[in-house]
Amino acid sequence: MAKPQIMPKFGFTQETAEIVRWLKGEGDQVDQGDPIAEVTTDKVNMEVEATASGILAGLRYKEGDIVPVTEVIAYILEPGESLPGNGQEAARPAAEAPAPPAEAAPQPAEAPAREEHVRVTPVAEQYAREKGVDLSKVTGTGPGGRVTRADIDRYLETAEPEVPGKVRATPAARRIAREQGVDLVEVRGSGPLGRVQGWDVQEFAARPQPAAVQPEPVPQPAAAPAPAPVPAGEEQVIPLNNVRRLIADRLQRSFQEAPHVYFDADVDTTRLEALRKRANEKLAEGQPGISLTVLLVKAVAWALIRHPLINSRLEEDGIHLLPEINVGVAVAAESGLIVPVLRQANLKPVTQLAAEMKDLVDRARANRLRPDDVSGGTFTVSNLGMFGVDRFTAIINPPQTAILAVGRTRKMFVPDENDQPVLKPVMTVTLGADHRVVDGAVAARFLADVREALEHPEMMVI
Amino acid sequence: MREITYAEAVREALRQAMEADDRVFLIGEDVGVYGGAFGVSAGLVDQFGTERIIDTPISEAGIAGAITGAAMTGMRPVGEIQFMDFVTLSMEQLVLQAAKIRYMFGGKATVPFVLRMPGGAGTGAAAQHSESLESWFVHVPGLKVVAPSTPYDAKGLLLAAIQDDNPVIFVEHKLLYKQKGPVPEEMYTIPLGQSNVVRQGQHLTVVATSVMVSRALEAGKQLAEEGIELEVIDPRTLKPMDCGPIVESVKKTGRLLVVHEAVRTGGFGGEIVASVAESEAFDYLEAPIRRLAARDIPVPYNKKLEAAMIPQIEDIVAEARRLVKGEY
Amino acid sequence: MSDLNNRLSPAAGTDAALREIKPEILERMLEQMMTIRAFEEKAEELYALGKVHGTMHLSIGQEATAVGASNALRETDYLLNHHRGHGHLIAWGSDVNKMMAEFLGKETGYCRGRGGSMHIADVSKNNLGANGIVAGGLPLAVGVGLSIKMRKTDQVVMVIFGDGATNEGAFHESLNMASIWDLPVVYLLENNQYAMSMSVKRAFKIERLSDRACAYGIPGVTVDGNDPIAVYQAVSEAAERARRREGPTLVESVTYRWRGHSKSDRQAYRTREEVKEWMARDPIPTFGARLGKSEEEMARLRAEAVKRIEEAVAFAEASPEPDVSTIEDGVYA
Repeated sequence: MAKPQIMPKFGFTQETAEIVRWLKGEGDQVDQGDPIAEVTTDKVNMEVEATASGILAGLRYKEGDIVPVTEVIAYILEPGESLPGNGQEAARPAAEAPAPPAEAAPQPAEAPAREEHVRVTPVAEQYAREKGVDLSKVTGTGPGGRVTRADIDRYLETAEPEVPGKVRATPAARRIAREQGVDLVEVRGSGPLGRVQGWDVQEFAARPQPAAVQPEPVPQPAAAPAPAPVPAGEEQVIPLNNVRRLIADRLQRSFQEAPHVYFDADVDTTRLEALRKRANEKLAEGQPGISLTVLLVKAVAWALIRHPLINSRLEEDGIHLLPEINVGVAVAAESGLIVPVLRQANLKPVTQLAAEMKDLVDRARANRLRPDDVSGGTFTVSNLGMFGVDRFTAIINPPQTAILAVGRTRKMFVPDENDQPVLKPVMTVTLGADHRVVDGAVAARFLADVREALEHPEMMVI
Repeated sequence: MREITYAEAVREALRQAMEADDRVFLIGEDVGVYGGAFGVSAGLVDQFGTERIIDTPISEAGIAGAITGAAMTGMRPVGEIQFMDFVTLSMEQLVLQAAKIRYMFGGKATVPFVLRMPGGAGTGAAAQHSESLESWFVHVPGLKVVAPSTPYDAKGLLLAAIQDDNPVIFVEHKLLYKQKGPVPEEMYTIPLGQSNVVRQGQHLTVVATSVMVSRALEAGKQLAEEGIELEVIDPRTLKPMDCGPIVESVKKTGRLLVVHEAVRTGGFGGEIVASVAESEAFDYLEAPIRRLAARDIPVPYNKKLEAAMIPQIEDIVAEARRLVKGEY
Repeated sequence: MSDLNNRLSPAAGTDAALREIKPEILERMLEQMMTIRAFEEKAEELYALGKVHGTMHLSIGQEATAVGASNALRETDYLLNHHRGHGHLIAWGSDVNKMMAEFLGKETGYCRGRGGSMHIADVSKNNLGANGIVAGGLPLAVGVGLSIKMRKTDQVVMVIFGDGATNEGAFHESLNMASIWDLPVVYLLENNQYAMSMSVKRAFKIERLSDRACAYGIPGVTVDGNDPIAVYQAVSEAAERARRREGPTLVESVTYRWRGHSKSDRQAYRTREEVKEWMARDPIPTFGARLGKSEEEMARLRAEAVKRIEEAVAFAEASPEPDVSTIEDGVYA
């Protein structure tokens, strides 16, 4: 039997992956577990491993194609075996459009009602019957817009609850939530159709603080890959890859929807630099050095504790104050810019944050980040100081409420108490905030606390 | 321990009860020289004579009335209904007389009898000789209902039923008669109203009755290879039902599958499900409670159809797997 | 009624027979008939007063059958009777206080208020209960007969059932089994002419219902059910035959139900004339006259019976209701 090789699903909300390159080619012998293709999801490069041993055949997508997860991308044949359907399906007809990218993910509530025949795979048709799903409400992402089983799963996952305001949860989950004082709305369900199971609540309650359910963040805008010099008189097109497309969509939406308001503050980093120097001198063997970025994260986390409104998410029903402080840090990596998240930064010592940061950066550079490494942030710090930028404004990373843009530290003469010029290290930080959520005064007070923490880092032990 | 068949275990219980107590006798159609339609009473007439192993005319109401009247006046009769299906002809005497007499008379009469009857399909006997009607009796206050699944249980429960001071409906199963198992030679009783945890496991509680117990155990063996451990519970007595171990088990596993041969709608499984849903185990459920039962049809004759109507081992395996993996 | 005499078995209820019965039994039978009548009339009155929760089935007019049959048996014998059973119990010697208490649903009643009018059972006196199911007692009689036979006592069991029960399948199964095993059962068919509204004329193709006995190879006799002597004599013979292990007998006792089936009966199925004709044959004065009772003696007996029943009502009314906390008592032993 020819074994279909599908595009695996790497992350919870992942819907598509782009094939970066095929590591094995048509007719190659593969062993189970061999990487056969490198793919990129929203922001992470992954390898697709062979699920069986045999001969790789019938590669259905070319490099650069964006493939819905669970779609068959190739087959693994036993010796002497031929492709299903006499191999006619082996190559995708060029005329057929690639599957829609993630941005066009199913939006069940808004999906146009289709009056006539819905194109659907037989498996999905049967599955829809079992689940009682109206196929006309499901957006197909399969070849030619066919509805696949994965589409139905996605539809079911994202469909509005049948009873508004009700959480799908087992009796056990409800009991444990009652006993532990947990709001089931906050718990992500691992059961069928996202049902909250007892163990989900237990896991949730066992954490130091209940975790927020967060959509994945988007990376910060990054400079477009340096294009090759454009020959005179010719226009060059850089096709949008998965990451670029996502960034474009989300940032545009953020900037359109959230009225941004910006606040600058000059920060004297004398003490901060002294602290960093001293701490790095005292580091144990093998401990990663403490960067300015990590101290920035710590200071921001400290200030966020005092200003829960900044650590929030705006939704239909109101402003959700988030119980965890998870600070995303924009990192320039070879593949582009990514935003790994330091979770519960307020609870962790700086040395631990430094260790986690190093691990994240190392893995980001090796394209080995896991989807969960880049999701769940509640606030973002973007530091472009190392690129020589004095100050800049950043676009908020939705659905977060604010972002801190950090410029380089430069020496400036500033007046001392006697109005005499003194040379000091000064860094300009710019807070970008969603004005729908945050008033100017609130933002100003937060920024003042950030500056307080940076100028007098000893305050953070208070 | 020596192994004997389920039918032999029933016979041995009858013999020992009759040897021990003159008030015990067996009455039914063809229970004498014929030895019973399934050979359960073979040879007993030689030992006890036709006075205590009584062949009756084809009179199911008469049999039910005879054991009721005799029980009210000092005897401890054991009746046999040749096929459980035929008990429909006895229903008035069982439901309106035997079950109610004690209560209706202010607790001043006792009706200590056992009425044995083989139920169940799987023999190609079709719609009128294959029924599983136990839930009818469970629905009648005043009756007790027992359904042993092994030779050991058959003997111990029958002896307990004979000693019980109430009318007991004793549901045997045709497919079990030839099943062998260890049975002690001496007299022993298994108290009525005690569930039996026949297999321990942590992933799914399977409550099965009668012939479904061995099927559930086989399913448990197969699933163990996949790392799914079933906890199989045999209520043994359907009324009064001992729900305690079931509730405890569901609290542990968070999942419940009920398996019986009788048709699904109105079946005994619904009673187990309701009892668990009403109990403290509700707060421990991690999945919907499921039933596996016969389809709601008369038992068909054709072998394939007959098997398709009734839960088989592979059905239990599949359903259990779905429940544990959350694939439903 | 005119054809009744043609249906009677010969020599039943003659004066010769009467002389063979001990005088105290005759006196007791008359007293019991008076008591039954008083009980039933009081029951009717209490019902009209709204003091009765359930229904009732009155046996006014049928007293002779009850007393003739019960007095023919021994204290150790068994009785299974039916829903119209107040008279059978009184004739069986049961306590009218406990009967009345049961009728009113009291804890002191025979069945602790669980049975009511239709199910009064004096189990301590081997009365295995009045049966609310038509023919319900007939299969039970087989079991009781079997039990007597196996226990090797000289008891008999009398099962009283109506003309309606005679057309149930259970009648056939019961008579057949009792006859093939020669069980000591007296089948007393109390033919009061109506199964609710269905008259025997419409429900049977035969004149004498006792003719059915021949189908089971057992004796069948039909007697005047309004004559306690005739009933007594026929049941005595049936009981003796049973004690001799010669098997069951079917005794048909022809009588008449004066009242409707139960309280909601408009009696559209029979004429006033027919009822009046039978009321003119009231078994109580008829029997009193045969015993040579004067008007005064009869009036005194009536007054005593009424007094007994008044006392029973007083006892019952003073008795407690069952406590709801005991509601589940007696479902299981």
